[in-house]
Amino acid sequence: MDIRLPNLGEGADSGVVVSILVSEGDAVAADQNVIELETGKAVAGIPAGRSGRVEKIMVKVGDKITPGTLILTLAGSDAPAAAAPVASRPPAVRQTAPLQPVAQPVQTTETDAQEPVVESTSEAFGPPASPTIRKLARDLGIDLRQVRGSQHGGRIVMEDLRRYIQGLMRAAQAAGAPVAARSPATPAAAPPSVDFSQWGAVSRKPFSPLRQVIARRMQESVTTIPQVTQFDEADITALLELRKKFEPAYAQKGARLTLTCFALRVVADALKQFPIFNASLDTAAQEIVFKEYIHISVAVDTEAGLVAPVIRDVDRKSLLELALELALLASKARERKLAPAELEGGSFTISNQGGIGGGFFTPIVNPPQAAILGLGQGSRKAVVRPDGAIEPRILMPMGLSYDHRLIDGASAARFIVALRQGFENFPEELIKIGA
Amino acid sequence: MESIKTELAVLGAGPGGYAAAFYAADLGKKVILIDKSNRLGGVCLNEGCIPSKALLHATKVLTEAKEFARRGITFGEPKIELDRLRAWKDSVLDRLGQGVASLAKLRKVTVMRGRGYFEDSHTLRVETEEGQKFVTYDKAIIAVGSRAAMPRAFDLGNPRIMTAREALDLPEIPGDLLIIGGGYIGMEMGTVYASLGSRVVVVEALDKILAGADPDLARPVVNYAKKNFRELRVSTRVINMSTAGRQIKVEMDTGGKTVTELYDRVLVAVGRTPAAEDLGLENTRITRDEKGFIQVNERQETNDPALMAIGDIAGGVLLAHKAHKEARIAVENICGENSLFKDVVIPAVVFTEPELAWCGLTEEEAKAKGIKVEVAKFPWAASGRAMTFERTDGLTKLLIEPESERIVGVGIVGHGAGELIAEGVLAVEMGATAHDLAACIHPHPTLSETFMEAAEVFYGYATHAYSRKKRADE
Repeated sequence: MDIRLPNLGEGADSGVVVSILVSEGDAVAADQNVIELETGKAVAGIPAGRSGRVEKIMVKVGDKITPGTLILTLAGSDAPAAAAPVASRPPAVRQTAPLQPVAQPVQTTETDAQEPVVESTSEAFGPPASPTIRKLARDLGIDLRQVRGSQHGGRIVMEDLRRYIQGLMRAAQAAGAPVAARSPATPAAAPPSVDFSQWGAVSRKPFSPLRQVIARRMQESVTTIPQVTQFDEADITALLELRKKFEPAYAQKGARLTLTCFALRVVADALKQFPIFNASLDTAAQEIVFKEYIHISVAVDTEAGLVAPVIRDVDRKSLLELALELALLASKARERKLAPAELEGGSFTISNQGGIGGGFFTPIVNPPQAAILGLGQGSRKAVVRPDGAIEPRILMPMGLSYDHRLIDGASAARFIVALRQGFENFPEELIKIGA
Repeated sequence: MESIKTELAVLGAGPGGYAAAFYAADLGKKVILIDKSNRLGGVCLNEGCIPSKALLHATKVLTEAKEFARRGITFGEPKIELDRLRAWKDSVLDRLGQGVASLAKLRKVTVMRGRGYFEDSHTLRVETEEGQKFVTYDKAIIAVGSRAAMPRAFDLGNPRIMTAREALDLPEIPGDLLIIGGGYIGMEMGTVYASLGSRVVVVEALDKILAGADPDLARPVVNYAKKNFRELRVSTRVINMSTAGRQIKVEMDTGGKTVTELYDRVLVAVGRTPAAEDLGLENTRITRDEKGFIQVNERQETNDPALMAIGDIAGGVLLAHKAHKEARIAVENICGENSLFKDVVIPAVVFTEPELAWCGLTEEEAKAKGIKVEVAKFPWAASGRAMTFERTDGLTKLLIEPESERIVGVGIVGHGAGELIAEGVLAVEMGATAHDLAACIHPHPTLSETFMEAAEVFYGYATHAYSRKKRADE
């Protein structure tokens, strides 16, 4: 019985084997993970799907494999287990997501060279466009996979091509280079490799799929979104006292009452008050999409790099629920076990560097979101009261970056004031368990 | 001897060659078109597409007339005058051949009749009726086509063993006809001769008829053949043939059993081979693959910078419309454009009873390559138009990429499928989605509605088909 890599869901058409969890001769159960695979989004365990004894393992750590690749063969396997989908159906919003550049050709190992390699459907066919548009793009040296199609099914029409070319020209102008001097064919041409070893010893490591995704998203953010960062400090002296008071009760429930928990609550309230911060710009439709849900992405630092799992319906959860869920997602992220669905659908991001000791910083908006809040570590500072008295208070640095296309400066000021007040006047009843 | 100079020489005046010559002339090139036969048009016009379709049209009437008895219209016994039928068929070919010649004249394309032979990469020696002529050119396009394969073991020099070329000349209506090869040529010729009254046996070495087509599309064709041919025999190989008086004795292995039978005629339809002999290709830098086809890149360029090749001689699928597209690509590259034979949808049509056509991805191919597609089918049993002529054995099928809902393949079997597939080609080439297709009004009552309804089946709201699956509920 051949066990092959199942379909990984949209956005993940290949992955790198990071560990092999079974050995030849082992008995495995149908739901037992046999390998761990790092895709662009997460590290996911791949279940055997059938029970049996491992005959031969056909992959090795470091292999880049695609759905359909033979992972191992099982002897004495029984009927297939109930379908164990690796990824949920992608949300509809993916349809309008910009097409991502295609990764390098997949290297298959020798053993599966003869096997039919399952192509992801999006790569099995060329970009949807009429023959005229395809010819024009070829003449212009444009890779249509980079162009976002505005029609149903992502079909690319002349208007999309024009918009893409205008974007390239604007980018070229912004970079200060004369348009004519730049070939539009190679907008993302990598600069030539520099031989650093001429100045001393170096070592090289692969730029992991996760880092590539981060790089792409960050690049996309700064090139497409005009961003402004609004700073402020929140006095969290009282909040920290409340935290000290309730910590033991939370600990009893197995939860850690962190500042991020409070931030989730405060941000959710502010988002309800200022829904534009919970919105997205749909450039294709020229519409603003207001979300009636509040799903907040929380940046988590992991060994492999930054990931931002999503806590759903923050406004409808108690502080205890938030604390428990946050701890669970953070540990899943560190163990690289997040499911793709747990990384999707966020409408705002919180990045809290307080635990590491960070101060002020300018976070980058996580598209298609409209804003992101960066928190630093609270520190004791001398505060001058209106009556002239000087008091030591603990102030937490806040940096709010936002999409200036959607949001004006005045709104940002109002929003950050609401956040500050939220932290400074956090109601005790909200912290009480069972409240 | 002085040589004739031209910008472009095109060798072979089939649907690839004459299209290339005309297009180049339209773009201002000086062109000489060289062909060895009297009638221009190549295999397609002389011994392929056109004569077979003319005969299929004529013989279809025989079958239909018979069927009409139970609908209350009775004709007398048909009388078949083979000479007149052949003459009519030839008149169609003549008209078309003359049409090609006059179009060449209007464009000032010089037509040279004779066999062409490459002396070197830039010189063609042409054996014309007026003697040898030498043509030197900047570029030449080779479009000499292919011919029916005749394995040496079958070639007894007996005219009763034919290829499609001879069979299309209607030498007689054989009582018992054996067709070796259950591909599209074998099945089309089987349909012609079965309608004329021959007892047709088709043998195929593979385990199925029309191997390239999806089984659900091939089924109605197989059913028709089972009813109207004497027999379809798969997994069967002809071991030996010998002359037995006025018949051919055929020994074959069918599923491990050896059978010996007598036939009046045998039609060998086991494939086609490139017509690459006696061209002097060895005097050029052209390379050929192991089957003898000229190797070309996506620009139709051969290994010889002066020479391009298009159509059957360049391999791939051996279809006239592929040659035509390649003619465009080759000429555009000669004229400095950047054209590639890439991501091109090549439709396939089998003119059997009923017709079978497909384009883009097939279900079998998707399965073999592991490409995830959704299949939406609309059976013609639900088509009012199909009922009016009592051919509800058709099926229209769409292969849809589930996430984008884009149509990536179309398959049709049924009356007029060859005409209907054009809409499928347009849909696949344009990147249309099932929704695009469903949103276009299709005229009623026509078979084209089956496209729209198949697209609607995908969404679960086809008017004339009930499906439990409602996509909107997902």
